[in-house]
Amino acid sequence: MKIDIVDYKGHLIITPSGDIDMYSSPELRSELMRLITKKTKALYVDFRNVSYIDSSGIATFVEGLKKMKLYGGRLKLIGLPEGIMEIFRFSKLDNIFEIYGNIDDAVGS
Amino acid sequence: METAIEIKNLVTHYGDVKVLKDVSFSIPKGKTTVILGGSGSGKSTLLKHLIGLLKPTTGQILMNGGDIAVMNEQEFNEVRKRIGVLFQGAALLNSLTVADNVALPMREHTQLEESTMQVMIRMKLDLVGLSGFENYYPSQLSGGMKKRAGIARAMALDPAFLFFDEPSAGLDPITAAGLDELILKLRQAFKMTFIVVTHEMPSVFKIADYVVMLDRGDAVFAGTLDELRASDNERIRMFLERRSEKEVYSPEDYFRIIAGD
Ligand SMILES: Nc1ncnc2c1ncn2[C@@H]1O[C@H](COP(=O)(O)OP(=O)(O)O)[C@@H](O)[C@H]1O
Ligand SMILES: [Mg+2]
Repeated sequence: MKIDIVDYKGHLIITPSGDIDMYSSPELRSELMRLITKKTKALYVDFRNVSYIDSSGIATFVEGLKKMKLYGGRLKLIGLPEGIMEIFRFSKLDNIFEIYGNIDDAVGS
Repeated sequence: METAIEIKNLVTHYGDVKVLKDVSFSIPKGKTTVILGGSGSGKSTLLKHLIGLLKPTTGQILMNGGDIAVMNEQEFNEVRKRIGVLFQGAALLNSLTVADNVALPMREHTQLEESTMQVMIRMKLDLVGLSGFENYYPSQLSGGMKKRAGIARAMALDPAFLFFDEPSAGLDPITAAGLDELILKLRQAFKMTFIVVTHEMPSVFKIADYVVMLDRGDAVFAGTLDELRASDNERIRMFLERRSEKEVYSPEDYFRIIAGD
């Protein structure tokens, strides 16, 4: 897995690529927590290049969302390929996370 | 059907006794394969070969492009992480809580943060219907709950393969049926390949997509459930009929039979 973080018109977008699994989740978590510790108001995670996410990846986002809720921050997931969306659905979390088609939809809501 | 595991000409011995006699069959990917057979037919022995605990005398077990019958320790370790097993008897560690039992494989094989593991453990326990039992010890659980906790632990590392050896052994029929429901549910929710060893016919008809039947160390059948039902092979018919005869007895009928009334 590789992680890119870009600033898009003042919005921070995290773009992981490849598999988010037991072995790569800790790295994703430390990036996420670094931004959350700074109380970043809104974080966007772009899934377009994610090929697979396992339960450790899902758990990492659960942790992130829980921490952000404490200070009123928002974690928005965008660009989920169908296979990844299915995994969120099976985890019964598709209605818990804010999920949008693309960055502009996510920024606007 | 895509093949997940291919077993070719497997022969194995305990000492001088040949227990698997040239067994060949394929296990389809993403389905539930039931390995059926009477007591002593070699089911557990076969399963132990599939998970790399025993090495065959001759033959191949092709999984993931490699032959696990001849893999070295390091190669096999990689395969091992993709395999979850529920052994006969569930085998939880009694000195650890349910949560710590589920965490064991995570602690052994990953560098995940403790807080991430705790979320994962709650997800796994919820899947098997044990939400809220994190801090219980195995001795405080019923037989069926222990099996469920064992399944949560087997799923700790999100395996591609889940093996069960006689999951309903020692359970009452209602608890056993509940476990079959759970296996069905997990199979529908995840793209895992399930391999279930059993001798319980009701369980076979409920959960199997594919059946392999062992008889005294021979694989006498491999095919779908419909093909099994339609088979006119003498040994298969005997097995199916012997089982179904037994099950029509109510305890009262059984009593009348043995009491000679
Ligand atoms: N460790 C062992 N040493 C010697 N013989 C064994 C051992 N384990 C099983 N056997 C024998 O091998 C045969 C197959 O056993 P097993 O695979 O446990 O059958 P099943 O699981 O179908 O009941 C039986 O005859 C059994 O007695
Ligand atoms: Mg056995």
